[in-house]
Amino acid sequence: MESIKSSDVFKKFSGIATSLKNSEIENWKKQGGKVIGYFCPVIPEEVFIAGGILPFRMRGTGSTTTDSADVYLKPVNCGFPRHTFNQALIGEYDFLDGLVVNTCCDTIMRLAVDWEHAGIKTPFIYSLDNAHAGGEAMVGHFRNQLQKMKDAVEKYFNVEITEQKLQDAIKLCNETKLLQQKLYELRKLPNPPITGSETVAVMVAGSSMPKEQYNKDLKTLLDELGNVNTDKKYSARLMIIGCGHDDTLLCDIIEELGAVVVTDQTCFGSRVMIKTISEEGDDPLMSIAGYLVLDVPYCPKTIGTHPERKQFTMGLAKDYKVDGAVGQCFISCDPWAAELYLLKSEFQEAGIPFIWFEREYIPDLIGQLKTRVEAFIETINN
Amino acid sequence: MIVGGCDLGSTTGKAAIMIDDKIYCGDIIPATTKPALTATMAMDSALKKAGLKSIDEIEYIIGTGYGRQKVPFASEDISEISCHGKGAYWALQSVRTIIDIGGQDCKAIAISDKGVVTQFEMNERCAAGTGRFFQVMAKVLTCGLEGIGSVSNISDNPVSISNQCSVFAESEVITLINDEKSIPDIITGINQSVAKRVVSLVRRVGIHDDVTLTGGCSKNLGLKKALENLLGTTIKPLPVDPQSIGAIGAAVFAKEKLLAKRAKELEVSSKE
Ligand code: SF4
Ligand code: SF4
Repeated sequence: MESIKSSDVFKKFSGIATSLKNSEIENWKKQGGKVIGYFCPVIPEEVFIAGGILPFRMRGTGSTTTDSADVYLKPVNCGFPRHTFNQALIGEYDFLDGLVVNTCCDTIMRLAVDWEHAGIKTPFIYSLDNAHAGGEAMVGHFRNQLQKMKDAVEKYFNVEITEQKLQDAIKLCNETKLLQQKLYELRKLPNPPITGSETVAVMVAGSSMPKEQYNKDLKTLLDELGNVNTDKKYSARLMIIGCGHDDTLLCDIIEELGAVVVTDQTCFGSRVMIKTISEEGDDPLMSIAGYLVLDVPYCPKTIGTHPERKQFTMGLAKDYKVDGAVGQCFISCDPWAAELYLLKSEFQEAGIPFIWFEREYIPDLIGQLKTRVEAFIETINN
Repeated sequence: MIVGGCDLGSTTGKAAIMIDDKIYCGDIIPATTKPALTATMAMDSALKKAGLKSIDEIEYIIGTGYGRQKVPFASEDISEISCHGKGAYWALQSVRTIIDIGGQDCKAIAISDKGVVTQFEMNERCAAGTGRFFQVMAKVLTCGLEGIGSVSNISDNPVSISNQCSVFAESEVITLINDEKSIPDIITGINQSVAKRVVSLVRRVGIHDDVTLTGGCSKNLGLKKALENLLGTTIKPLPVDPQSIGAIGAAVFAKEKLLAKRAKELEVSSKE
């Protein structure tokens, strides 16, 4: 096989990642299933799955304008929530039965209020208070917040989320994480059989359809990747770093220029699958809380956690033998702008070329982005 | 050896031809609505200056600039950032920092003592700190770009322009005109406001002597003076047209590529 692009499973993943509605969700709904939208990987999908509800990771895919959202939000809010909210306002999220936001950045936090205020008919809306700081002490606090969210889901959807169901959901999602880890392992090869763009599609699909089917499909894809021709030589191995990286734009630009993206530190990529949740212990909510507070690399908005994230990011750069790193953040996103600013000098100190820029969620100035990335690759190859 | 470079920028087209080590720059051609036509017009002018009859005499051409992929006769293309680094180093080997202010963007480029780009920064999205900003201001002041750039307009009592957005700055300038502020005071204020914006970009890559200025706005003497004041160093003039540096860099790259190609061919034929 010349490229994984010709695989039917890949085409399915790619179709799911580039739209909001998909046939998997349609079938789920036809059978009476409920769907909850959630904004960030720190909101554990395991709790919804344990309640028999399909979790869908929110994104603004397909949006072309923020006309409707701008009535409620301001340009100071980054494009990711604005486009996502706009999609909801024009009915693209009608399939949602619930929405969970968290204390991510201020915009996401406030979105629950805007959602209700704008009269979007999503019957269940919940705000989860996640850990603002790192360390053991936060685990118990976050576990209690998860308990409250679980109770609210049980009450509203009239379901019972038992410990056994939570354990089963953890197992199912761990299987996803392990399969995704295998996929990332292949990217460590000198000539990876899967590109960065293709990986984004696979990862985004993972939070947009039922897990059982996704795991089955991903197993097939991993088998197929064994048959992909890996003769192709790339001019540089790059990693990407940044916020809700749910489109392939940056990877496409990099890969059209002859380089390849081999890993990432993004919230749709490595941050969702780098470790698994403990299947031991008799308090699954505590296991989930422990995983999200201590195991997953801290999110940039968690106070005082940059050193740990630096270590994680540098570790990825080393493991995947990257020649350079490209950071992107959406205009007006302070958590990531500050993060990338710090990482720039840290990468340079480590002798790894680094570039970062701000972009719109739905980008406008692609020509300028291309020039920067092209010059960056030229700099590496010099 | 005859090689060439063509820099298709957002507002102008430039071409340079290198015959052995001598550079011939064509005229600066205002961009037409057809990028390929602008490129051809720029190259025709360079051919004339170099005394060549046809483009076929050029053995290797590199395209660069915003429209680099649209240069119809280029063998390959290289980003304008690399080309500005290459061109400025070729023109003056002591250069380490290049400030390139073009029609639509502004770049700060750091190069090593071997002339290799080590770091660069580019303005984010808007027109502040670019040639476009000056165009808008020149229109309001009805003085033309030459008026804004002229030394005779430098005043000791410049106004302060606080808006970086060209649209808001335009209304700010209209207010200043209505307040009967003197034109040299306003022009100097405009140059200082752009210089401030540019210098914060340069600081990100570090200010290392020698610093030089390239791109269309390098001809604005008021801006050059404002930049020197803020940078605390003199901007070294280049011995060639600073607006053609991208095209010159592309030609230097073309020479390197052609030499490498020939060396490879020689290696293959000696093996056979
Ligand atoms: S940066 Fe990532 S992990 Fe942090 S709140 Fe946003 S989506 Fe969640
Ligand atoms: S990209 Fe940044 S500003 Fe935008 S929603 Fe995420 S954390 Fe908030």
